[in-house]
Amino acid sequence: MKGQEWYQADDIAEEYEEKRFSRGGRLIDRREKQAVLNAIGPVEDSEILEIACGTGRFTVMLAERGADVVGLDISGPMLKQGREKARAAGVADHLEFLRGDAGRLPFPDDHFDAVIAMRFFHLADTPASFLSEMRRVSREIVFFDTFNRFSTRSIYNWALPMGSRLYSRWEVTRLLDEVGLELVGDEHDFVLPYGFYRQIPNSTASTFRKIDTTLGSLPFGDRLASVSYWSCEV
Amino acid sequence: MNEDLLDIICCPLDKSELELDVRDRDDGEIVSGTLTCTECGEAYPIEDGIPNLLPPDMREETTA
Repeated sequence: MKGQEWYQADDIAEEYEEKRFSRGGRLIDRREKQAVLNAIGPVEDSEILEIACGTGRFTVMLAERGADVVGLDISGPMLKQGREKARAAGVADHLEFLRGDAGRLPFPDDHFDAVIAMRFFHLADTPASFLSEMRRVSREIVFFDTFNRFSTRSIYNWALPMGSRLYSRWEVTRLLDEVGLELVGDEHDFVLPYGFYRQIPNSTASTFRKIDTTLGSLPFGDRLASVSYWSCEV
Repeated sequence: MNEDLLDIICCPLDKSELELDVRDRDDGEIVSGTLTCTECGEAYPIEDGIPNLLPPDMREETTA
């Protein structure tokens, strides 16, 4: 797995959210959370697993909406941040964190209503094996995102600390076929890549975001998008 | 971790049940202890309230 040591360092975990989701990154955070909610619908009383949950951005949001959530990550320091956030939000009773390997999940077959993985597959060296584990433990929904080949993402990809695997639509559909998942919905967004939003102040971000979504809504817009959200069923 | 989590988790290697041994509890929450596989006997630590179910080949040695 790429960047494993980088990702598990204490200081990286402590600065993770500040670096990514302040400034223009706030818009990214909001869009990603919307994508998750669009995909898995009302979550009250449902059982949800998040793979590579990191500092718990999505797990805490889902627990706040009444789901019973398990967050799995390889990194102890990231999960420590998640636990503190869950406590602060008062959802610790509905949210459990554990360290584990996404390729060998410590759960029985068909256990969760939904299994999600955000910003995970760009780090996956063997995506089919991880996706097939997600499918194994889900009885209905599997949701994940990818960063796209042939997009603005390609431009700065080489500069990232963890490297990043990019996918084409063809590669994703082939993966789904391979593990036996059915694609039920897909959304494509961010003609301007995440890295761009992270650099700009919040005051100008919404202007650029408007340009971005306008470009994205053009007939060829999906093909320019740097991020895709894939909603699948078992 | 809450004890309820035991109903969900299993050994990552053979998916068998885990047996809980609590060392330290805080306000109902299990802060430290061990989860042992009832089939293969592999032991998984609970550290700072977080169970570490990484398979042994991915687990770094923790310093005492």
